[in-house]
Parts: sequence; C-alpha cells; structure tokens
Amino acid sequence: MDVRFEKLTRRFGAVTAVDALDLEIRDGELVALLGPSGCGKTTTLLMTAGIYRPTSGAIYFGRRRVDHLLPRDRGIGMVFQNYALYPHMTVEENIGFPLELRRGVSRDERARRVRSAAERVKVDMLLARRPAQLSGGQQQRVALARALVKEPDILLLDEPLSNLDARLRHTMRAEIKRLQKDLSITSIFVTHDQLEALTMADRIALMTDGKLAAYGTPDDLYERPESRFVAEFIGNPPMNFLDAEVARADGQVVARNAEMQVPLANGLADRLSLNGAPRKVVLGIRPEHLTIGPTEPANARGDVYMVEPMGREQVVDVRIGDHSLQAIVPAAQSLRVGEPVGLAFDPTKLHLFDPAAGQRLG
Amino acid sequence: MTVTTTPTSPAAPQITPELASPSAGALSRGLFSALPYAVLFLFTVPILLLYGWLAFSSFFTRMEGLRPAGPFTLENWRFLWAPETVEQLNNKPPIIPLTINTLVFSLATAAVVLLISSMAGYALSRLYFPGRRMFLGSVLLLHSFPSVTLLIATFMVLRQLGLYDQLLGVILVKAAFELPLGIWIMKGFFDTIPWELEMAALVDGAGRITTWWRIVMPLVRPGLLALGLLAFVSGWNEFLLPFVFMPSGSQATLSILMQALLGEGRFVDYGLVTAVGLYYVLPVLLLFLFAQDQLMKIYGGGVKG
Repeated sequence: MDVRFEKLTRRFGAVTAVDALDLEIRDGELVALLGPSGCGKTTTLLMTAGIYRPTSGAIYFGRRRVDHLLPRDRGIGMVFQNYALYPHMTVEENIGFPLELRRGVSRDERARRVRSAAERVKVDMLLARRPAQLSGGQQQRVALARALVKEPDILLLDEPLSNLDARLRHTMRAEIKRLQKDLSITSIFVTHDQLEALTMADRIALMTDGKLAAYGTPDDLYERPESRFVAEFIGNPPMNFLDAEVARADGQVVARNAEMQVPLANGLADRLSLNGAPRKVVLGIRPEHLTIGPTEPANARGDVYMVEPMGREQVVDVRIGDHSLQAIVPAAQSLRVGEPVGLAFDPTKLHLFDPAAGQRLG
Repeated sequence: MTVTTTPTSPAAPQITPELASPSAGALSRGLFSALPYAVLFLFTVPILLLYGWLAFSSFFTRMEGLRPAGPFTLENWRFLWAPETVEQLNNKPPIIPLTINTLVFSLATAAVVLLISSMAGYALSRLYFPGRRMFLGSVLLLHSFPSVTLLIATFMVLRQLGLYDQLLGVILVKAAFELPLGIWIMKGFFDTIPWELEMAALVDGAGRITTWWRIVMPLVRPGLLALGLLAFVSGWNEFLLPFVFMPSGSQATLSILMQALLGEGRFVDYGLVTAVGLYYVLPVLLLFLFAQDQLMKIYGGGVKG
C-alpha cells in the first residue's frame, strides 16, 4: 500500500510542528523520517497513525483518504519507542489484544495467529511471561509481534532502536529490515540517528523545522546532498566545511582560500558558470575523502592536533589556520600529535554549497 | 571454615545483598536497624495500651486503672447472643441489623467514591478542557472545608430531594465529602500511566472507553484498592452524618449506638461500652491488618511499567 502526504500540517498553538509536508512512499518501501529532535518527525508519524489530527492537509493510503479515520480503521501496526506493552497482560495477551478487539476472530484463530506472529519474531517461548520479566530486546520483539499480528497494510515504528544497547541495536537493525522485506510491508520509521536511517531505509526523508529538507535513497543523500544541512546531518564523523572561492588559476578552475587550493573536476567547474569573476562558496569534503601525506605536494598543510584510533581506522584532526579538518585514515599510518602534514583532497568528491542559502551548487 | 550467616529476627528488615558484607559489622548493623523500631515502639506504646485496655476491660467485670480487678467474664459480650437481657439496649435497634446498615453504608460510600473518582480523575489527568486547573483547585478547596459548616445547606438539599432520613441520602452526602481527596488520589495514579500505552491501545483498535477499562483501570488497581479501603473505613467510622441526617434511627449505624451508650443517663456501663466498642473497631483493625500493603501504595504513587 503506498502512502501519500499532501500539504500535511500540524500546529500546536503558535508552534508549527509539521509544515505543509508533501511525501510519497511507494508500496513495500521502508522509509526513514530522519531529523534532529523537534523537527516534526514523530508528529508526522502520529498523524499517520491517527493519534494526532492534522491541522490541514491530507493523508492517503493507496487511493483512500485516511486523515479523518480512527487509528483502528486505518490498517496500521505500530511499535512505540518504549514499546508500550501492557504491563498487566502476558506476552500472549499483549500480542492477542488487537485481535481480541476485532470482531470475527475466533479464540482458536487468535491463538494460532498469536503463536505464528510470536514465532516470526522468536518470542514464542515467552508467551506466558509478563513484560516486566523481559529484556529490552525481547520487549521490542513482542511489540513487533503485536504490531504485525493483525496483518496491517502499513507498519509504523517510532525510534524503534533507541532504547537498546549498541550490540542489540545492530542485530535488531538487520532483523527489522529483513522482516520488513520478507513481509514486503510498507513501513515508516522515525529516527534521529543518521546511521540507522542510512543502514535500514530504502529512502530517507530528512526533516528540519517541520519541513522536508531532502528525500532520497541513502546513497543520494550521502553522495549528492542537496544542501549544506543535509551534508552536515548525514555521515559521521560529519563532513568538513571550508569557506573558499572558486576562481581560475593557471588555466585551471580551483577552489581556494588562504590555506588551501584544490583543482575542481572539469564537469563541476563547467556547471558553476564562472563569468570571469571569482565566486564565494562553501566547500565540503567528507573525512574519508581526505588523505594525509607529506607536506609537499598537498592541497593544504597543517599540524596533527588529535588522533582517535577506532580499530580498523583512525580519525585525525588536522589543524589548518584557525580551524580543523577531520580525516579518516588507515590505522596503520603512524601519526604523531603536532607533526606537520599535508592534506590531499579527492577532487571527484568535493561538494560546493552556496554560502548564503546553503543549497548545492553545480 | 564454615560460613556463618547472621541470624535475623523476623522483625528485622531485610538487608539488601549490596549492603550486606558477609562478616564484619554485624552487631553494629543489628543495632542500627533496631533503632527505628525502638523509636516507633516508643510512639506506639500509648496507642497499644489503649487498645489493650479496651480489650481487657471488655472481658473483666471491673478495671482499676490499667489493671483488671474483677474476675474474667463474658457478661459484657452477651449483647451478641442475648441482647434482650441487656437493659441499655432495650429501647434501641438490634445490633445485627445495625451492623448490616453500617456495612451497607460503608460499602456503598466506597463504591460511589471509586466510581466517580476514577472517572473524574481520568478526565482531569487526560483531557485538557477549559477550566481544568480551576476545577482541580476548587476540588482541593472543598477537601479542606470542614463538613460541619455545610450541614444546614446539605440538610436543605436532602429535604428538597426527598432523601432526608434515608440511608441513600447519607451515602450520597458522605461520598460527596470523600470525593475531593479521591479525585486527587486517582488523578495522581492516572498521571503515572504513560500516554504511549493508551496510544498503543488506540492503534490496536480500542476506543476511548475500552482503553480506559481494559488498559488504564487495571494499571491503577493499587490506587483503587487503597482508595476503596480508605473510603470504606471512613464510612464505617462516620458518626456525624448518619446522626444528623437520619434522626428517626430506622437505618442507624453502629457509631450512633456507641454514642447512645456513652451519652445516655448518668450511669455508663463501661464493660458494655468497651465490648461494643471492640466489636465496632474489630472489622477496621482486621481490614488494616490484611490490607496494609495496599494502603501503603497510595503514597507510593501508582504502578511501575
């Protein structure tokens, strides 16, 4: 079932939490609503669920307009951030509750469907327990089973992994994605963690201040961020930004400032439409596209300020002038703090943004 | 070497494993944990003495101070099996129907208080309607109002409604006086139930009423039990309202009998008074004994998820 938001808006008093949001989600897709806290992503999800009423705008599931319907008439299943399992019911009763409320599901059928939902998420041996007797991961699975038992058209997940420890988060990430693909159920999940969005989602809707900042596949958003905000939010450690100007020098088009100079790839230079005059830009480059080497030849020179070993690689802060750039280099490369080094920029991986509006150039 | 465990008396509090070191300091720890008991005992002694005196004097013919002076006797208790032989009870309603009246009065009060408190408390906790804060404030004000000051107004209302001199009328008045506290207590319990649970129930297909009944109410059960107990005991002990609003005595309660036994004539038979008194407080004492865990929860503030 595909989902469509049209000019979806929600105001709380004077605050506009979601501002004329347009979004289309294809059938069977897993879409992440990503953004900093307060960006309106959870409000959007709760409007989709039918818990909040939109102030204006429309929500369509397929051809059906649903924004005026009660949650129970929308054909959705939802997993809450704190799982919201009913503490006074056993796991079996929790999973069975949505079916119990539905007319025409016999006791036998309910028991059978509860069991199969529980087996799917591997909690079938816990049916007699109560939520308080379960670990966080198990509670998460039970919540998933409860959301899926009524075979909804759409699955909604609110920060599904934020309450799990790092290791479990990793496993559940893979499991939820796998489950979603197996059932090919249209799913929307809310997260503030860009890594979660990158690893799980088919497409990411990045929101800020109630508006859509970008919508695309993880690759799109990572490789070709539409704006400085997107570039900053996606990727960890975050992209480095430098004020620079683009100008012609020695028959080449270069981006340069007092501390560095990088030649631009031909395509990029062409698209920038320089009419002789230099143009101010913000140059962005991801840490993994910087290499540290000898001071000559190099695009920029600086001192090693800090080295953070990460096992397989290390994150190095290089101080250039009055600011620093982060680079990811192989763990084998030995670097001392204070050592003068040269930085090489991968010219095919440069991002140029307008300094005022922040949108991508070229 | 054998590991010895420090003997703990049944009254001593359980020491949590993190605090318990296996060997040293057992003595000082014992003293330390005994201290609160000593203090509490000191303050409880006068009350215990009073209850002791009450019990003793009902079983002996005569008391001298705190010591029974006469021989042991069940005479004082004969109102239970031979009420016609007790002179003081001659012109009064029989004790068993009185007990039943008291029970009905207390149970009905508790039921009305529970029903209204749980619905009002839920609405005040969850719905943001205009005037909500003011309502909460004025409910609290009502709670601090001495009920005596309202007697005349209440009397006129009851007369108008035709409920004067009827048990039902007194039940409603008593419940009304208990409601402010009840509403606040229940609101407090509802406040502890996470919104997410109700959202989940809505998504699962429940309506508002189903959510309240199936999800929220079971979770505030400790609150309901505690409040119900409080209201029951308060009803059981109530004297003023039945006394004032049921003057004919047709549906009188035990507290009115107690008052009559104490306040009638110059001669008071303390043997009889203490026996009836003990009979009167016994249900409450038993209730507290068995339900103290529930009552404690009222201050614990609700459920854990």
